Amino acid sequence: MRRPFEVLLGLAAGLILAFLLVPVLALFLRIPPGDLLSQLTSKAAVDALIVSVKTSVIAHAVVLLLGTPAAYLIATRHFRGRALVLTLIELPLVLPPAVAGIALFAAFGRTGLLGGTLDAFGISIPLTQTAVVFAVIFVSSPFYVRLAVSAFESVDPALIEAARTLGAGPRRTFFRVALPLAAGGLSAASALAFARGLGEFGATIMFAGSLQGVTQTLPLAIYAQLDLDFDVALALGAFLVVVSVAVLLTVKLLPSWTRFTLISLAPSARFDSS
Amino acid sequence: MRRAAFGLVLLIALAGCGGGTGGGDSNQQATVFAASSLTEVFPQIDPGATYNFAGSDDLATQIQQGSPADVFAAASPKYPDQLYADGLADKPEVFATNRLVLIVPKPNPAGIKSVDDLRGKDVKLVIGAEGVPIGDYTRTVLENMGASDVLDQVVSQEDDVKGVVGKVALGEADAGFVYVTDVKPVADKVTAIELPAAAQAEVTYKIAVVKDAPHHHAAHAFVEQVLGSEGQAKLAAAGFGPP
Repeated sequence: MRRPFEVLLGLAAGLILAFLLVPVLALFLRIPPGDLLSQLTSKAAVDALIVSVKTSVIAHAVVLLLGTPAAYLIATRHFRGRALVLTLIELPLVLPPAVAGIALFAAFGRTGLLGGTLDAFGISIPLTQTAVVFAVIFVSSPFYVRLAVSAFESVDPALIEAARTLGAGPRRTFFRVALPLAAGGLSAASALAFARGLGEFGATIMFAGSLQGVTQTLPLAIYAQLDLDFDVALALGAFLVVVSVAVLLTVKLLPSWTRFTLISLAPSARFDSS
Repeated sequence: MRRAAFGLVLLIALAGCGGGTGGGDSNQQATVFAASSLTEVFPQIDPGATYNFAGSDDLATQIQQGSPADVFAAASPKYPDQLYADGLADKPEVFATNRLVLIVPKPNPAGIKSVDDLRGKDVKLVIGAEGVPIGDYTRTVLENMGASDVLDQVVSQEDDVKGVVGKVALGEADAGFVYVTDVKPVADKVTAIELPAAAQAEVTYKIAVVKDAPHHHAAHAFVEQVLGSEGQAKLAAAGFGPP
């Protein structure tokens, strides 16, 4: 009874692994690696790369700057409606991208909820590079905040307490104790959120449109090149696979790095865990 | 043990699915891959067929990659002719013509009355991408009018004509170039501005039965319906020109 079951498990695992890996590998095998690289230097590819890097970096800075304090607040304060706040933050995670796109229109579009107000200040967001940044923040910040809350929650409250009793103010406690102790988890959250933002497609193509050199990010360029130059689309796809692998490796390698910094940055941790 | 049993059931169910999709020639309805601009009129001609509406270029790519299409109806001779040359489709036939108009949202915030007004500051123009028929026709028309410089006002290049219509109808873009036949469904939201006849691009629609069509008979019946008097009358009613 045991052996056939083991075989079944192995079979299921093998099937799903092959199903997941074959398409990714095929991406690299379709054209020679040299061609893949030369396609990446085409104008469309370079333009998309610049747009993607620029919008992702700006969006990510906003996500980190606002998301980190927000996550710290949610993780360390127990206020009424905390569960509701967490659920609301998680909502965009499960929202279909097309819904995100239409929702952004409904809110920030020229005829949208806040469109008139923005218009009064001469600001028009849809179909601009700002719209790309909005779309990326909308889909990637929930990722970051949710994971950052977990990172802060996993910091031993006794250490925070110790810092406070030793006379550190709340700000000092945050910067010198909580932040360094949660650094590993926060970095992983940051990397995953960045990857999610870089791959954002649905909300962007609706809310920001697709214009080479302005709003056409890497995923949008893949879509646009699909019928113009399949090789360029392939090369961009392969490139994004490499970036994704790099992000994943970063996340996987982080725990060991964290332990190291944890000990060197917060000596008290050693006493506590012994 | 119960968990293992559940896993088995799941596996069997999945295997069952795989078998199921391969089998069916049970419904003798054609699967029609058609240009976005045919979205309204084709279901009027044959409500029973299964439709896949998208940019003609995307549809051609899908058929080249082996999508099980029976009929291909494109907003340009280019893609059906290409499939015919590659031996992927029967000889295409012209079944309709069309012309381009400029549309603006009803409130017309940018005050656009002609192509010349597109040059105004901050005008947001949306057009079809290069390689998509509506995108190529738009560039031809602008060139014919000596107005290619308005391409500087483009804020988005859409992958099919419905993308252009949608963004203008929403009021998020100030203007867009579309087929005259796209205007009727959104007539309460947009105003159409006619373009000079001399500047018009030659917009011809071609239809062809795909080689190895899974529903061969239905495919031919569909094409005959479109080319027949009733189909032609419905196309005319939707604003299409005669072949």
